[in-house]
Amino acid sequence: MSEEKRRPEDDGRDFANAAWSIPSYLLSGMVFYGGAGWLLDRWLDTSAFFPIGVVLGTVLAVYLVYRKHGR
Amino acid sequence: MIALTLLADPDQFKAPTPDELFQLPPIIAGVDWFTKPVLLAILSSIIVLGFLWAAFSNPKIVPRGVQNVAEFGYMFVRDQVARPFLGKDADRFMGLLLSMFFVIWVWNMMGVVPVAQFPVASHIAFPIVLAVSVYVLKLYLGFKTQGVGGYFKNMMFPPGLPKFIYVLLAPIEFLSNMIIAPFTHAVRLFANMFAGHMLIAFFSMVGFWFLFEQLSPLGAPIGVLGVLMTIIMTGFELFIMFLQAFLFAMLAAMYIGNSLHPEH
Repeated sequence: MSEEKRRPEDDGRDFANAAWSIPSYLLSGMVFYGGAGWLLDRWLDTSAFFPIGVVLGTVLAVYLVYRKHGR
Repeated sequence: MIALTLLADPDQFKAPTPDELFQLPPIIAGVDWFTKPVLLAILSSIIVLGFLWAAFSNPKIVPRGVQNVAEFGYMFVRDQVARPFLGKDADRFMGLLLSMFFVIWVWNMMGVVPVAQFPVASHIAFPIVLAVSVYVLKLYLGFKTQGVGGYFKNMMFPPGLPKFIYVLLAPIEFLSNMIIAPFTHAVRLFANMFAGHMLIAFFSMVGFWFLFEQLSPLGAPIGVLGVLMTIIMTGFELFIMFLQAFLFAMLAAMYIGNSLHPEH
């Protein structure tokens, strides 16, 4: 949607889009990086990467949401 | 489980278990697939078809009776679900969104219809079929309007981010759009209906048990509370049933809209 064609209802659409995609992003971040950490833990026989991955994934997901919708 | 049932005192209140509530036997012995939810799903389709047929088979310029009611539903879906997300494409998808909204609403309402008393969507297979249909449609429209490569590029690499960060964020976008979103689309409807049915069954069981099966001076107030809570929860469920039908259709419109107009 280009700038000159923006109508007032687009704001409502963007807001609903953002609101409904945030939980999905947070969950995806946790699952992907948590999963990667879990695999690393299994491979290296450690137990630190899983929690690090979950936190990293959440942080990245929050950053993604912020960059996409937070301006 | 068996040991527990044997040990349990028959005079004691037992909360209904998911097994009792949701594992229903076939209606006709031998036809395993034909259970109560299947029957109710078929009935729901007939009800929605009949309702919309009665309303729109012979439409009048000045709507009266059934047509009036159905047009109210149509306007609601068009203005609250389709137009905000699809804009000028709204009319093309009204058939899908309207049927989806009505059929899910009737499915859910089956949970409070006497005798039926089973929300169809509390068996996850039903919402999964609808969610998968929307998912396939979303991919098809995305591939058609943006091309296969363009669809994944627009999805995984939204513009305006520093280059190196794409490596970290693209998997999140992919997982979110391709797996988590359709999954939660189906699970949201299923879980709401499942939990709602459990709650209503539990409270009506409390009322029935303490007022009819084992009436006692101490138990009676609990029974009255159970009946009251059943009434309150039924009212609340009526609201949730409508809300979940609306949300399911709304999210479908949102996914379709995002495939048709990628973000820039």
